[in-house]
Amino acid sequence: MTLAPAHVAGVGMVRFGKYPADVTLERMAAGAAREALADAGAALTAVDGLYVGHVFGGPVAGQRIAAQLGLDGAPVSNHENYCASGATAIREAWVALAAGLHDVVLVIGVEKMTDRVAGGVRPDPGDLDAAVGYVMAAGHAMSARRYMADHGATREQIAAVAVKNHAHSVHNRYAQYQKPISLEEVLGARPIAEPLGLLDCSPISDGAAAVVLCSPGGLRRLGIVGPVPRVLGVGLVSGSVLTGTGDLNAEDVSRRAGEEAWKLSGVGPDEIDLVEMHDCFTIAEIVRMEGLGLVPHGQGAAWTADGRTALGGRLPVNPSGGLLSRGHPVGATGAAQVCELTWQLRGTAGGRQVEGARSGLAYCKGGTVNGTDGGSVTTVVMAR
Amino acid sequence: MPREPRPFREGLLSLDPPRLLGSRCPACTVTSFPARDFCPGCRAAEGVERAELSTEGRVHSFTVVRQAPPGVEVPYVLAWVDLPADDVRLMAQVVGTAPEEVALDMPVQLELTPFGDADEGLLGFRFRAGVAA
Repeated sequence: MTLAPAHVAGVGMVRFGKYPADVTLERMAAGAAREALADAGAALTAVDGLYVGHVFGGPVAGQRIAAQLGLDGAPVSNHENYCASGATAIREAWVALAAGLHDVVLVIGVEKMTDRVAGGVRPDPGDLDAAVGYVMAAGHAMSARRYMADHGATREQIAAVAVKNHAHSVHNRYAQYQKPISLEEVLGARPIAEPLGLLDCSPISDGAAAVVLCSPGGLRRLGIVGPVPRVLGVGLVSGSVLTGTGDLNAEDVSRRAGEEAWKLSGVGPDEIDLVEMHDCFTIAEIVRMEGLGLVPHGQGAAWTADGRTALGGRLPVNPSGGLLSRGHPVGATGAAQVCELTWQLRGTAGGRQVEGARSGLAYCKGGTVNGTDGGSVTTVVMAR
Repeated sequence: MPREPRPFREGLLSLDPPRLLGSRCPACTVTSFPARDFCPGCRAAEGVERAELSTEGRVHSFTVVRQAPPGVEVPYVLAWVDLPADDVRLMAQVVGTAPEEVALDMPVQLELTPFGDADEGLLGFRFRAGVAA
């Protein structure tokens, strides 16, 4: 291990979903933060700093939140790495704790999307891909088509990701959708970017998630005795400029993010008991698990259809329901994944508990950059 | 008053003849599109040259986009197009065939197309199904 771990003193969320305009970004963030502080038994006065991940929140969203929450005057920083923003904020908080700068920090991931994003998310207008009509769904659709051609996988196997994750979500009261869906429903859904349909895509959502992270001194300040789940390390990589005409689903960016995770945490891939995976689209869960090396290359679709990545399977993926069911308020997702890992490692995840979970990985991939294999990828490794 | 035709982004393409403009590293021969000032293959930061790319492409993968943000007309075909002569892959729209007719490995041909407001004279690129006449 290269840096000291961050101890998770408390976590909290507001249910992800579609809220009216008066449920503001600041209000959702404060709601999640108060729940996390209550979970930690921490007063606002115990918090040394605030780290906020968001994408569409506008300038100084974190400071606007602080002024409503009662953390005005504290050091506040805003972190944007598209869909990896919340996890990036957690990484920066972990680094600050390990450096001895702070002892108790609050991390909030938050997004208000439903009043400002419609029809899907796309790259910044300055990116060349945006100029040729790229939307995120299209990239994953092309990934899926090639994956099926290269590995003999079926449309049904890819759709099985959505069926599995929605089945998990019925046990998660914070999820936007909490009901099971059938394979037929996924296959018959309105096409978005062929071969992917509406139920292959995570929704545009509002929501917030918060985490209280501590150094050992911070735990003492909060009066917490006994072990709590720890963030052992947070990998962060960005996409590399690709050359040539190789495997479209090589996912080298995921491989590198995994290597960072194992190196920083001292935990090996064979020690991971569960994964919270960035399933913004069904196919994404499959190819990213393969890129990490947690599922053999080309076998992810079959693994999913066989139940090996379901609760009770060999390696449960997205017991929370994932982005497909929990919803995907982009800046909040990374923090929500850490909330889920915390509940799993505490053994308090109820009907979606992964029995005996000792360590878990949370993966986010944020954005795209023309000519590369991704924007940002984060890998959070936690242990109980 | 219509303005002089020009690429929607400087250095992206040449108009006569219509070509995509990339960069090629003389040391390792890796070709990039769009052009970069460094070589993503060997990381050379100097000596990278501008290069006209082949107009002959092949569909490596594709999708029919049925839903897009407001103001974007659907459906359209978006593809990963390989240029085998340059060992380059790029993203572009494909026209000249019904969406149902697009297939993996289908040959496509570069063409220029108006970009944005027609009066601005800006030109972008796309690919048309079929081989050169």
